[in-house]
Amino acid sequence: MASAANANLNAVRETMDVLLEISRLLNTGLDMESLSICVRLCEQGINPEALSAVIKELRKASESLKVQSQPP
Amino acid sequence: MATLDQKSPNVLLQSLCCRITGKSEAEVAHQFQYAVRVIGSNYAPTIERDEFLVVFFLMLFSCLQGVLKHRWSVLYLLLSLSEDPPLPRDAHSTPFYCTRPQSLALSYGERSTGLSASVGTSGISSLGVYTLNGPTPTPQPLLPAAGGGQPLGSRLAWTLPVSSSPSSAMVPPAARPPLGPPVPAARVVRPRRDGDPAGEVNEAALVRDILYVFQGIDGKFIKMSAQDNCYKIDSKVVLCKSLRDTSSRLAELGWLHNKVRKYTDARSLDRAFGLVGQSFCASLHQELKEYYRLLSVLHSQLQVEDDQGVTVCTESSLTLRRLLVWMYDPKVRLKTLAALVDFCQGRKGGELASAVHAYGKTGDPQMRALVQYILSLVSHPILNFLYRWIYDGELEDTYHEFFVASDPNVKTDRLWHDKYSLRKSMIPSFITMDQARKVLLIGKSINFLHQVCHDRTPPGKITAASKSADTPKDAAELLSDLEGAFQEKIDAAYFDTSKYLLDVLNRNYLLLEHLQAMRRYLLLGQGDFIRHLMDLLKPELARPATTLYQHNLTGILETAVRATNAQYDNAEILKRLDVRLLEVSPGDTGWDVFSLDYHVDGPISTVFTRECMGHYLRVFNFLWRAKRMEYTLTDIWKGQMCNAKLLKTMPELSGVLHQCHILASEMVHFIHQMQYYITFEVLECSWDELWNKVRQAQDLDHIIAAHDVFLDTIISRCLLDNNSRSLLNQLRAIFDQIIEFQSAQDSLYRSALEELSLRLQYEEKKRQREEEGQWGVTAEQEAEEKKRIQEFQETIPKMRSQLRILTHFYQSIVQQFLVLLMTSSDESLRFLSFRLDFNEHYRAREPRLRASIGATRGRRLSNI
Repeated sequence: MASAANANLNAVRETMDVLLEISRLLNTGLDMESLSICVRLCEQGINPEALSAVIKELRKASESLKVQSQPP
Repeated sequence: MATLDQKSPNVLLQSLCCRITGKSEAEVAHQFQYAVRVIGSNYAPTIERDEFLVVFFLMLFSCLQGVLKHRWSVLYLLLSLSEDPPLPRDAHSTPFYCTRPQSLALSYGERSTGLSASVGTSGISSLGVYTLNGPTPTPQPLLPAAGGGQPLGSRLAWTLPVSSSPSSAMVPPAARPPLGPPVPAARVVRPRRDGDPAGEVNEAALVRDILYVFQGIDGKFIKMSAQDNCYKIDSKVVLCKSLRDTSSRLAELGWLHNKVRKYTDARSLDRAFGLVGQSFCASLHQELKEYYRLLSVLHSQLQVEDDQGVTVCTESSLTLRRLLVWMYDPKVRLKTLAALVDFCQGRKGGELASAVHAYGKTGDPQMRALVQYILSLVSHPILNFLYRWIYDGELEDTYHEFFVASDPNVKTDRLWHDKYSLRKSMIPSFITMDQARKVLLIGKSINFLHQVCHDRTPPGKITAASKSADTPKDAAELLSDLEGAFQEKIDAAYFDTSKYLLDVLNRNYLLLEHLQAMRRYLLLGQGDFIRHLMDLLKPELARPATTLYQHNLTGILETAVRATNAQYDNAEILKRLDVRLLEVSPGDTGWDVFSLDYHVDGPISTVFTRECMGHYLRVFNFLWRAKRMEYTLTDIWKGQMCNAKLLKTMPELSGVLHQCHILASEMVHFIHQMQYYITFEVLECSWDELWNKVRQAQDLDHIIAAHDVFLDTIISRCLLDNNSRSLLNQLRAIFDQIIEFQSAQDSLYRSALEELSLRLQYEEKKRQREEEGQWGVTAEQEAEEKKRIQEFQETIPKMRSQLRILTHFYQSIVQQFLVLLMTSSDESLRFLSFRLDFNEHYRAREPRLRASIGATRGRRLSNI
């Protein structure tokens, strides 16, 4: 039982690593945590395009906030 | 995923927002609501599922196992989050050889099965850090044939992991032209800044620099270093080694470009460079233009990238390695051009064409095509010259580039021999010497026809002029078929022009007739005329030379002409026949100064040049002397025959007369043999050869050559050249002896005949007196008669001794002559000696002859 669980864990870990690699290649800017969240969201059936739009918006918003917060 | 927390989407979404914005949960409320709203609106992915995208992912995709339930959506999410906006198509109008990246792609596709396994492993091995359990990824054709997917493919397929350093990453693709040079990951991490002075110079700046260097302009970091004559990267600049090496390799192009440019610029200022050189520079210029075009495309691409701003992903932009690949072909071309430029330094005209042609002998088809193209341009002016020269006889060569040179100082009478010559250095290497000579001959003939023969037929009538060297393309075609078409053209022009020239010479200027007339008159061919002339001239020429007048002699000549067969000759020829009196030295008789002459002018003086006429006159002199000897001996013989009967009554003279006869017959034999030798072996044989050659001659040069050979042979055989001076002297001595003998014999006969007549008178008187009844003779008369006879008889031994001396002297001279003949190098002279001494009469007397004859005979026998 434990070995099966271990095997499963390994598989999961590998998959995550591959996905992380892909995301890095694609220059998505996602780190491991965000990536895992996204993966979980997608696994639950979220529309990927919408999700990506959200993420882009969030990024833009944070950028603009950063710019605003920096005094000239 | 079983092991992951089963949190609700909302929670997850909120935590996602927190992570991305980096703020706490309270502050992201706004964003969170937005996110919920967006995701709640249920829109399906709008884009068509681009097959190509899927294909690219297949490789990594297949690494993923069946852990993910919604693999696709995850992947799509990642894709849409990637920082690569869809690039406009036109930015990828790949510069320069538009097919190149595709062709590379194609070639890559061809090699995919073979190579992609290995390359795949390199790609996979980089991922191999993450050991995969999955099946080894089957290498798929990773590159589509279409160019559209290309950029993504290049982006995706062979990008290397961040962990490996850029330099090691260069190693596998170095063997094959890398398609998509990887983006150094450092870029992703670091914000893009251009030319950070404190830090490393990044690639974009280098690329910009390189593009300037390509044109020969010093860039910011890469400058031309004059002492090393190369482009060097500023040592102050911090640069990793691979970039340094790559940029050095690329800078070579700038150096090559500079070299070619310098040459063309220098040459364009040179006024005396000539047409060939100008066309060479033009072709170089054209190549440089192509190169500049490439550079401008590269520039424009750089420009596009700049316009799109800093956030543009740099994966498809210009990188040094991409430049390496794209500039490979231009580099080869520039190298060829630079090599050509080096080789052609300081050459012009036909030399330049030869130099370019030499470079065409290479196995590399690209290089060969390039050099052939340049060669066709370069040789176009030369071929133009050639055709004008062949078909019009005109030579307009201000820069002395053509291989036919014209000497303007030469006047028309030496036009054939001296005016036109070959400039050997300017003969291009694709034209053989034979062809060059023929070309020279053709143009020379045309000019000769125009100027000397005053023949104004337009050259179009002579040969069917085909003006096919009008465009460089024709020149290229011609060059490719030098053996066939070009040779044919030249040959056709040569045959037609030469034939026409010979026709004109023979028809209008009677060249062959004049040749025959020379033979007849100057070489004593017309026997009856010569004999009659001699008959008429004998009394005149016996006088001392100073009393001779030319007009008298000319009158005699006319008489002779009219009285013999010579009168039926062409008037043109008779007009030219004349008498010439040579220079008089004291003591000369007419015989020594008399000579015939033949005037030549106009075109035939090309064949009968002044030297030729001089030779003819010398030969005439010799032949005339020999003939005179013959004539003299005939007289002697006549005298002998007439007087023999008469003097039979004087028995005391019989011994002397006998001696005379013997000597005379010796001389006659000698002269006979000499005449035979001269007439048959020397003159007739050579003349026959000459006539055959002249008949078969294809052009005027052949005739001139044959004629010269003829004269040379005659002169050497007639003992008139420098080698046979001793022989000639001997012969002259013999001739002198003959003349002396003639005078001796004459005096002998005179005194004998006088004595005879006196005796006859005496007898007559006696008989008369007896008839009258007186004593026949008185005692004193008889005593007187006896005394006189006594005196006469005393003179006989003197005469006899004189004759003996004469004979002895003559024989010794003849023996020396024979010895000289025996040892001469000419075979016919040796045979002459054999004939002269056919019964070994002289051999008996002359020990030297015995030895030499025996030796040679023995040798000859052994040869048989």
